[in-house]
Amino acid sequence: MSILLRVTDLEVMYGPVPAVAGVGLEVPEGEIRAILGANGAGKSSTIKAILGLLKTRAGTVEFQGRPIHGLPTHRIHQLGIAWVPEGRQLFSTLTVHENLEMGAFARGNGARFPAKLDEVFALFPQLRERQAQVAGSLSGGEQQMLAIARALMAEPRLLLMDEPSLGLAPKVVRRLFEQIQEINARGLSILMVEQNARQALKIAHYAYLLEVGRLMGEGPARELEASEDVKRVYLGG
Amino acid sequence: MELFLQQVLNGLMTGSTYAVVALGFSLVFSVMRVVNMAHPEFFMAGAFGAFLTITYVTRNVLGVFVGGMAVALVVGLMVERLAIRPVRGRYIMIPFIATSGVGITLQHGAERLFGSDPVLVPPVIPSVSYNLGPLSVTRMQLVTLATAAVLMLALRYYVRNTKWGRATRAVAERPDVAAAFGVDVNFVSRLTVGISALMAGAAGVTIGLLYTSAWAFMGLLFGLKSFVCMLVAGNRHIEGVMVIGLLLGVLEALVSGYITSTLRDAVAFGVLVVVLVFKPKGLFGSYDV
Repeated sequence: MSILLRVTDLEVMYGPVPAVAGVGLEVPEGEIRAILGANGAGKSSTIKAILGLLKTRAGTVEFQGRPIHGLPTHRIHQLGIAWVPEGRQLFSTLTVHENLEMGAFARGNGARFPAKLDEVFALFPQLRERQAQVAGSLSGGEQQMLAIARALMAEPRLLLMDEPSLGLAPKVVRRLFEQIQEINARGLSILMVEQNARQALKIAHYAYLLEVGRLMGEGPARELEASEDVKRVYLGG
Repeated sequence: MELFLQQVLNGLMTGSTYAVVALGFSLVFSVMRVVNMAHPEFFMAGAFGAFLTITYVTRNVLGVFVGGMAVALVVGLMVERLAIRPVRGRYIMIPFIATSGVGITLQHGAERLFGSDPVLVPPVIPSVSYNLGPLSVTRMQLVTLATAAVLMLALRYYVRNTKWGRATRAVAERPDVAAAFGVDVNFVSRLTVGISALMAGAAGVTIGLLYTSAWAFMGLLFGLKSFVCMLVAGNRHIEGVMVIGLLLGVLEALVSGYITSTLRDAVAFGVLVVVLVFKPKGLFGSYDV
């Protein structure tokens, strides 16, 4: 299986503080991989460094075998990486439809736009009725759907998801993770950052354990789920 | 009543020019959180551009607008490169000081080039006036109003209905996320400052033609007043800035018609003080910095 994303010895500073110190990870084509860890473990910084939003101090990021660290963020996106940011970060003054158009910004509003829109609405039917509404007026669950839908509009090769379950009710979270699995089943590779380790391990193929900027362990999700150490530290007993 | 209506009409003509300058100012602030203190110099560049075009190129009115706006655009892109792009996203005082410096340089550069006395901008619009019942309006006033209307509608259309306008609103709200969806934020910065310069340049052409003169420091008072319009309206809605620009023009005309024209320039600042006391975020709300 070919490796889509490869991060090697990544070091990232957050101001004067090292946020990520020597992290290495891989995302093979077609898999869901998760980065687990507590608040401040450097999960988001890793994602932002891959996107070029934070400068890397050392290490490399390769996408489809090509180094992308140092490229400007908009170029990295054009190569096929889309982002579902922590806390949704929708364009809240734009309408739902405009947010989806922004998702397709790099692809252009070409002939495929309506078909892609239908595809996304098939996955998130609630969004169809809300197209004309400003994004800021949606409920938390709907906002998360829109954040994912916006990223899907870009037709990426790789989806980076930062804390998709944050602030959502447990029932909504379960449904959301089903949808993420569905997206993956259609062939999209996903790298996900989650504090909700229990849910994440259910859908991920493989996971990395991050603690204060360092990689503390990694392995197939099933094995991690069963491991006593992981249960104690990440799954709360 | 006739005096009142005539003053309202005159005020709308001047006010439309305030609105155009204020809109560009406000656009750059809301998109990039940069108080562009060099903005008034785009207006000054437009007036000198009109002077140069008439003197050396053509007396065709459309040509004069194109010439003035082109000069303003060149100055605008220069300011963007030198004093806005390198400091965008930093603490708000940094671009404020950087653009102030460039603005002062531009004023004194213009003084060096053209002298400290106003230069004559030869009239290219015949001084004809039309009667609307008891009111009269000059052709120059109509050109001013038409220019402002076209620019404001064009800006509104651009921001609301075009791909790059949408991207501009996205950058205004979340530059990082916009970049992560493929928007080149530096290009949006150039585009936004360029548009603001074109608008201020067009306003400079109309004022240059109206007063048949251009001078190095003409941006000061006009620029301050457009700054006031933005503060009074708040920068959240471009329609708000348009309305306040028009109202300021009307209010000034009424004060000079009914009280005394010496108080005219004090109106804007008086209104500012009152509004800031009661609504510090402006009448229609502002983005947080």
